[in-house]
Amino acid sequence: MSHPVNELTAYLDGALDPAERAEIESHLARCEACQAERDRLVAALALLSRLPPAPAPSATFEQRFYARLATEKAEARERRGFLDRVAWRWLAPGLAGVAASVAVVLYSGARQRADEVFLAEHIDLFESYEAVASMDVVDRPEDVQVVEHLDELREGRP
Amino acid sequence: MATDPDAALMVAFQGGDETAFRSLFEKHGRAMVAFCHHFVRDGARAEELAQDVFLKVHRSAARYQPSARFKTFLYRIASNHCLNELRRGEYAARRAVESAEDGQGEPTDPDSLAGPAPTPEENMLATALGEAVEKLLGQLPEKQRAAFVLGRLEGLSYEEIADVLDTSISAVKSLVHRATVAAAAALAPYAADGKEALP
Repeated sequence: MSHPVNELTAYLDGALDPAERAEIESHLARCEACQAERDRLVAALALLSRLPPAPAPSATFEQRFYARLATEKAEARERRGFLDRVAWRWLAPGLAGVAASVAVVLYSGARQRADEVFLAEHIDLFESYEAVASMDVVDRPEDVQVVEHLDELREGRP
Repeated sequence: MATDPDAALMVAFQGGDETAFRSLFEKHGRAMVAFCHHFVRDGARAEELAQDVFLKVHRSAARYQPSARFKTFLYRIASNHCLNELRRGEYAARRAVESAEDGQGEPTDPDSLAGPAPTPEENMLATALGEAVEKLLGQLPEKQRAAFVLGRLEGLSYEEIADVLDTSISAVKSLVHRATVAAAAALAPYAADGKEALP
């Protein structure tokens, strides 16, 4: 095994699995260079445990935090109120327009379906070009031409 | 997570219990100031950053998953916030000035430090160690610094550090090792015997 110097900190922190740990201990038992490095790290860790406590926060730390929290909550309420007002002023008319458009589309669709049912029930009328012309339901020239030649289609003529 | 009382408080806060949030702040707020201080080395700014962190916790409560330890959730927000703070230009500039002034500052008065110290010698050693570590932290790359603070100074496990920094455990091993080797070099003058080793 090469010198496991990169694993020594994890070894000292107890972060290796048993097999890795046994391997490092076996190496340390016969490698003076790694023993020296381990001792250097152990000394550093011992010194780190003697660090002074971090400076205490100021006496007004909590008070200032709750003041900031209150301000933030008030701003959030104000933002929500503004968004509600914007929604009613601008979005509501838009939504009403969309609803009206949908209603028109649905009504047109229903009316178109009713026309199609009427045509299906009275298809015999379309055999007479004169009747179709008088009903004023076919307005495009190509449709008029088709109706005019319906009898030819029935007889299978080209 | 049933075994984490802080997670239970966070869940209560998610349900609208503001007193649960206050309990979390009272429990972790001061420790958070110390954590932030390791990054910015400025008491007033550390307090502001710690407050920012708890405001973020308050805002992002809905995103908290009870399966995660609250401490991990808190330190993830805090680490990201402090690292972002360090990336701002003013800290880079300040570090450059501090590096130029190394060894020229006034020595810290041991009597001004908080915490019990049985003897003046131990008190002076602790002060000198604190200054050496603060200087070291200012020189470490961001991720090493975060891993070192979380592991060595806040006592998080490698697994927790990996979770906080959103990285692998093997990456954490490497980060902590390199930072600890740097600490061993920085603290070598104090290591001969501890008490008598003041340079």
